[in-house]
Amino acid sequence: MARALEKSGNWIGWAFFADFGTALSLTFGYMFSRPVTMQYPDKEKWLPYSRYRGHHFLTRDEKGEIKCVACELCAKICPCDCIEVVPYEDATGARHPKVFEIDTARCLFCGLCEDACPADAIALGQQYEFSSYASRDLVIGRDELMRKPGKAETGGGVVGARLDTRDAVRVETDEPAGYDWWRNIRRS
Amino acid sequence: MELALALGLIAFKVALLIAALLLLPLPLTWLERKIAGRIQQRMGPMRVGWHGLLQPLADGIKLLTKEDHIPAEADRFLFKLAPILALAPPFVVFAAVPFGESISVMGTEISLYVANLNVALLFILAVIGIEVYGVVFGGWAANSKYALLGSLRTCAQMISYEIPMGFAVIGVVMLAQSMSLVDIVRAQADMWNIVYQPVGFFVFFVAGLAEAQRIPFDLAEAEGDLGAGFHTEYSGIRFIFFMVSEYVIMVLVSVLAVILFFGGWNGVLIPLPPLLWFFMKVAFFIYLFMWFRFTFPRYRYDQLMAIGWKVLLPLSLANIIITGILFV
Repeated sequence: MARALEKSGNWIGWAFFADFGTALSLTFGYMFSRPVTMQYPDKEKWLPYSRYRGHHFLTRDEKGEIKCVACELCAKICPCDCIEVVPYEDATGARHPKVFEIDTARCLFCGLCEDACPADAIALGQQYEFSSYASRDLVIGRDELMRKPGKAETGGGVVGARLDTRDAVRVETDEPAGYDWWRNIRRS
Repeated sequence: MELALALGLIAFKVALLIAALLLLPLPLTWLERKIAGRIQQRMGPMRVGWHGLLQPLADGIKLLTKEDHIPAEADRFLFKLAPILALAPPFVVFAAVPFGESISVMGTEISLYVANLNVALLFILAVIGIEVYGVVFGGWAANSKYALLGSLRTCAQMISYEIPMGFAVIGVVMLAQSMSLVDIVRAQADMWNIVYQPVGFFVFFVAGLAEAQRIPFDLAEAEGDLGAGFHTEYSGIRFIFFMVSEYVIMVLVSVLAVILFFGGWNGVLIPLPPLLWFFMKVAFFIYLFMWFRFTFPRYRYDQLMAIGWKVLLPLSLANIIITGILFV
């Protein structure tokens, strides 16, 4: 009896397009839910987590000297052979790199150089916007590597940003931490 | 003097109507893309103008500056004729569509329709049938397999769905005892036709979806399997013609649904200007069309034919008989 009722209920539902109504109400609900769009690069950008492997940077010690001791371990472990280090000795006899070039066009951002480094001198930071028209511009030298931003402090959020295309394509932001993008995801 | 004034008024109305209908696709494409975006949890166009409001304008400029390409093996005369044939009938039809009774401007009563035909409904159904020629010629003349398949499908679809559509409105005509759209609306002053004719409305609306070639019946231009259907080979201004025609027909079906079943410019409860009531109802139906589009998948071709002949046609016939017995 119960089954017969259920069956006839189904038929009545089909006759009056109950499933159409369900579908329409679902899409109507989505219509007024918050869009998940991140408006990159016009208004917002993603701030990566601190574990993020972005553009490399070279660190300094307390005196502001470069930490790198030019042991070339990073160049040896690099799977795509994109790091070139030329060492020199300064007046105190300490080794430092005269040339430290990373070809970011060839780099696969595995982070092995960071793992191999005995002096914690090289690491992969939070910057991920470095497109270029010519691949030779993607070979980054020592001084520029020391200026690159480090690892993200907070990360994992969406911050307000603005697109700057005056000299290069850059998306700039002033906010250190943004809102959690996952709040926009509708879970039903 | 009297005659010249009347003629001038008609010319002004026609010009206004044509301008409005030509410009209408601009906000409608924007609205459609916005609704699509919101339903899919996106934002839709955002970059051109405030919330992408100028996006249709940018698209229009892009289409106008594109190459007007005619395929080498195409039938050049029919290829050029088809977009005009697709565009003209929906515009002609609006001459018979009333938007309200009349408004008085500086002491003169101005009726809100170009012509109050006594056979307006018949005229509309007949003229809108010509639109299918544009689609068929377009698909045939392009000499492309996708286009031909699309136009074949449209041909069969239009013929199958015009019959239930014509039958569905007979109930309304019986109730109003008139084929004039103005009289039909006047007859609904107390009670809208949807109360007496729910089946008629259902058949009309489904057939209207098919006539306007909207999802779930947009087999003519099924992007997934036919490229773009009958207008695969069209580009530039001719493509705009087809798009404008499609949007105007969507508006037309909405307007007809409002006039025939939802009381036209008769309001309920809230006393608003009749014209406003009318446009609000039409806007609701246009939204409904877009809402359907982003909710349902496309019907298979044989399902489309089966719905037309096995469901809608018997339903509309039964509707006529029952209406005849109960009301006449």
